[in-house]
Amino acid sequence: MALSRALAFDGVAFSYGNVAALSDVSFEVAAGERVALLGRNGAGKSTIVRLVTGLVHPDAGSVWIGDWDTADLAPEDLARRVGSVFQHADQQLFARTLREDVGFGPRALGFPAREVRRRTDEALDALDLHAHAEQHPYDLSPALRKVGALAGALALEPSLLVLDEPTAGLDRAWRARVADALREHAERGAALLVVTHDLAFAAETLERGIVLDRGRLACDEPLERLLTSAERLKPLGLVPPPIAALSVALDLPGRPVRERDAAHTLARVAGGRSAS
Amino acid sequence: MSALHPFSLLAIAAALPAFAWILPAPGGGLATATLALVLALVPDVRAGARVVRVAVLTAAPFWLFLLLLHDLPTTVAMGLRITTMVASFAWLVAALPPDRLVEAMVARGWSLTLAYLFAATLSAVPVLKARARRIVEAQRCRGLSPRGSVANRLRALRALALPLVLSALHEVDERALALETRGMGSGVHRTPLAAPPDRPLERAARWALLLLCLAAVIWRLA
Repeated sequence: MALSRALAFDGVAFSYGNVAALSDVSFEVAAGERVALLGRNGAGKSTIVRLVTGLVHPDAGSVWIGDWDTADLAPEDLARRVGSVFQHADQQLFARTLREDVGFGPRALGFPAREVRRRTDEALDALDLHAHAEQHPYDLSPALRKVGALAGALALEPSLLVLDEPTAGLDRAWRARVADALREHAERGAALLVVTHDLAFAAETLERGIVLDRGRLACDEPLERLLTSAERLKPLGLVPPPIAALSVALDLPGRPVRERDAAHTLARVAGGRSAS
Repeated sequence: MSALHPFSLLAIAAALPAFAWILPAPGGGLATATLALVLALVPDVRAGARVVRVAVLTAAPFWLFLLLLHDLPTTVAMGLRITTMVASFAWLVAALPPDRLVEAMVARGWSLTLAYLFAATLSAVPVLKARARRIVEAQRCRGLSPRGSVANRLRALRALALPLVLSALHEVDERALALETRGMGSGVHRTPLAAPPDRPLERAARWALLLLCLAAVIWRLA
């Protein structure tokens, strides 16, 4: 199911007691869009994740998942549309095998056994986890458990996937696998909202950046433009990733922020120079 | 209250349940349970109300099972004693920062391992509570409903209890390794950075409490 609007925040405000966490936040995420949610610690990113998953409800304004208003829904109801992976996702696994745990979400939502098996297999495939499928989750490293939790979220086949620091603790190979799986999921029409401090991962995997600053929306624009303006990122507590900084320093045409694009541009520029 | 020396807080928390069991029921238990619950409300009533709530909710199932197994007078007598124990422990956890206890024990020449054992027990409650909340939230976001039928609730309990216990055991391993690499088991006596002050009046009060307990035992045996 592809909804044209996967997520919408409409004038959302939220406080923890007397401490305001979000003030008048509005944005939309379309189906298939890959969005990075950025900002320094305490900017309100995790509160956005909690609002989207229905763990808390806005004090003012509304949060929409497609055409569902989250105000009336519990997290277990929203799980039909929202898949989420939290920072401590490695602590949530409990089944005897990773396969069983990945299939937990679809089972909890009441899908028939065959459908659960299909979704589980596809999620394990997407993250190349078949070799670990029969292992007990606690025999795996915390990083692999986190990837396992992501497989569990993919098995829900959500129209919106919300991830909080999905690459923390992952090595380069697993990071690349996660990036591939997320891109594939988005190509099928799901929207991604990824909270991350890993701007290199954001540049490689996502396309739009929303930056929060002290609970307010500070920027909302394509990542290619955002990551190449160091002077705007600095006051928001962000540092451009190396490729973006390099392409600005070398004044590469189009200011690429992804490794492959930068390599192509460099090759073209270098080829042009050697030809002349 | 938290300005008191950690040993004084420990002495109060130990003396109240001791008196609850030594003094005749139900008056003794009623007095100690009331005192423990009142202590929790001093000096911050709002924070204290949370401690009282935790204590009452923890003690409630014991009352229920006692009522199923015994007559009313026995239930009241035992229930008040158990409530005193639970309320004293809940108050101690809220009033005593574990790091102050470690400093105090090390300053008194106790082994760091033993001091850590005490401190870890006290600090485990809020840590496990926070972790349990995180796990429940994560499972709900995976579609698990903690409401509805008994079967649903049991399934939810399994999805909460297993990761909680497994991750706690896993953390014990990691913590043990970390402590060992930081010289916990070296046996060298440590100098505390900021030992809590132990006033003579508090020391005298602690001894008085101990003597009072002994006197109560003798009075009850006589």
